[in-house]
Amino acid sequence: MKINVTINNEKKELEIAPDDILLDVLRRYGYHSVRRGCDTGMCGICTVLLDGKPVPSCSIFAARVDGHEITTVEGLPEAKELAKILAEEGADQCGFCSPGLIVNTVYLKKLKIKKIEEVKIKLIGNLCRCTGYVGQHRAIEKFLGVEK
Amino acid sequence: MIKNYFRPKTIDELSELKLKTKGYLFSGGTDLFVKLRAGTIDTDTVIDTKYLNSRKIEITGNKLFIPINATYSELRMFIKQNNVNNMLENIVKTIGSPMIRNRGTPVGNISNASPAGDFVLASYLFNAQVIIEPTSRKLPVKNFIKGPGKIDLRENEFVYGIELEILNDYKFYFEKVGRRNAMIISIASLGLLLKEKDNKIKDIRIAFGSVAPYILRDENLEKSLIGETINEELFKHIAIEYQKLSSPITDVRATKEYRKSLVHNLVIKAYNNLFEKVVKE
Ligand SMILES: Cc1cc2nc3c(=O)[nH]c(=O)nc-3n(C[C@H](O)[C@H](O)[C@H](O)COP(=O)(O)OP(=O)(O)OC[C@H]3O[C@@H](n4cnc5c(N)ncnc54)[C@H](O)[C@@H]3O)c2cc1C
Repeated sequence: MKINVTINNEKKELEIAPDDILLDVLRRYGYHSVRRGCDTGMCGICTVLLDGKPVPSCSIFAARVDGHEITTVEGLPEAKELAKILAEEGADQCGFCSPGLIVNTVYLKKLKIKKIEEVKIKLIGNLCRCTGYVGQHRAIEKFLGVEK
Repeated sequence: MIKNYFRPKTIDELSELKLKTKGYLFSGGTDLFVKLRAGTIDTDTVIDTKYLNSRKIEITGNKLFIPINATYSELRMFIKQNNVNNMLENIVKTIGSPMIRNRGTPVGNISNASPAGDFVLASYLFNAQVIIEPTSRKLPVKNFIKGPGKIDLRENEFVYGIELEILNDYKFYFEKVGRRNAMIISIASLGLLLKEKDNKIKDIRIAFGSVAPYILRDENLEKSLIGETINEELFKHIAIEYQKLSSPITDVRATKEYRKSLVHNLVIKAYNNLFEKVVKE
């Protein structure tokens, strides 16, 4: 079956199978920032924006997004800036979880969220197994301009 | 393996497809995907509910209607904007993560019928009616849910929505005990609604999750409490009674003995919090 989607502001017609999962389709078409983590919606690594809202791409059939808009790290100009700060703050170790974290954090920037307590709650679904979060939070606070 | 993907637009279309294909409904998919991957569901057909023309979240009389496909995020926004059943916010905000709440739906939670389902617990507390189409059947959630994962639904039927009572002037306590602070399936949970008059109970509703094969709520016990003076003795009595009624199991999350003590202690904790016996920072 065919679906029409806008990915990172580009209109695409994609050929998919009924059992295709959004995560796999995005990777197949070259959006390699989208990664498979836990495959159950727990870890946040596969997060993309669907119509502007963060969702786990591992738990959505690709057929569902017909007529909708997807944004990945590749389509977020602010991603580079955050990636740089993450590196500077030593918040990237293996780096596997970074794309999902970046998508969600850029989303928070759009919402103009600046209270650290709120940031923490909103990022609860982005797990990281190496950094212990401290470095990540330094970077995120810088990027969002968190009020101290 | 999934070979067919349908996107029905009308109630009849959806119903016919479900009857004919025996396929599984896909709303938010946050439970469905877990089950598909675990192999507990094996189907060749997915019926996507998102394209169905349905009613929106709305207030009708003294009821809050939550339709199929409405997500937790949408419900939260509605509650805030309309200042209705604000207590629900305390439950909904604990469900999954923001990403899960952008996808998951209350109707999916009820259809999944887990004794740990947080919105199932909320539905019991708010005397929810489950609205079923195309037969337009309406039944209380406690009759709709028959056991863990078991619901009263015929092959051509699906859940169209849920209707909760709108409650005002209730004190409310909700707590979910888990092994982490976030994104947990609860070891045990308690929701308590209480209306008082002159320090006496006017109405009380108590529901526990994960301590029985279904949400534990005993309306006879609740009735026996009406008119009683609110004090620690009374809550000790409630705690002991519910401990007797609970029938938890031991699983990977906790032992049944631990769950039994939680039933007791959560009731006492609710009392201490609601009646400010706890010194807040
Ligand atoms: C990471 C993670 C965290 C979670 N945290 C929580 C939590 O804290 N608390 C909690 O209670 N749950 C939690 N869940 C479980 C899940 O998110 C909820 O149960 C959610 O409400 C399910 O809704 P859904 O729309 O995604 O359901 P779906 O997965 O789409 O459907 C659930 C089941 O019901 C069937 N179904 C769907 N719609 C209908 C209908 N209209 N009529 C009949 N059958 C139907 C489906 O075929 C499926 O079997 C979590 C899940 C994940 C992955």
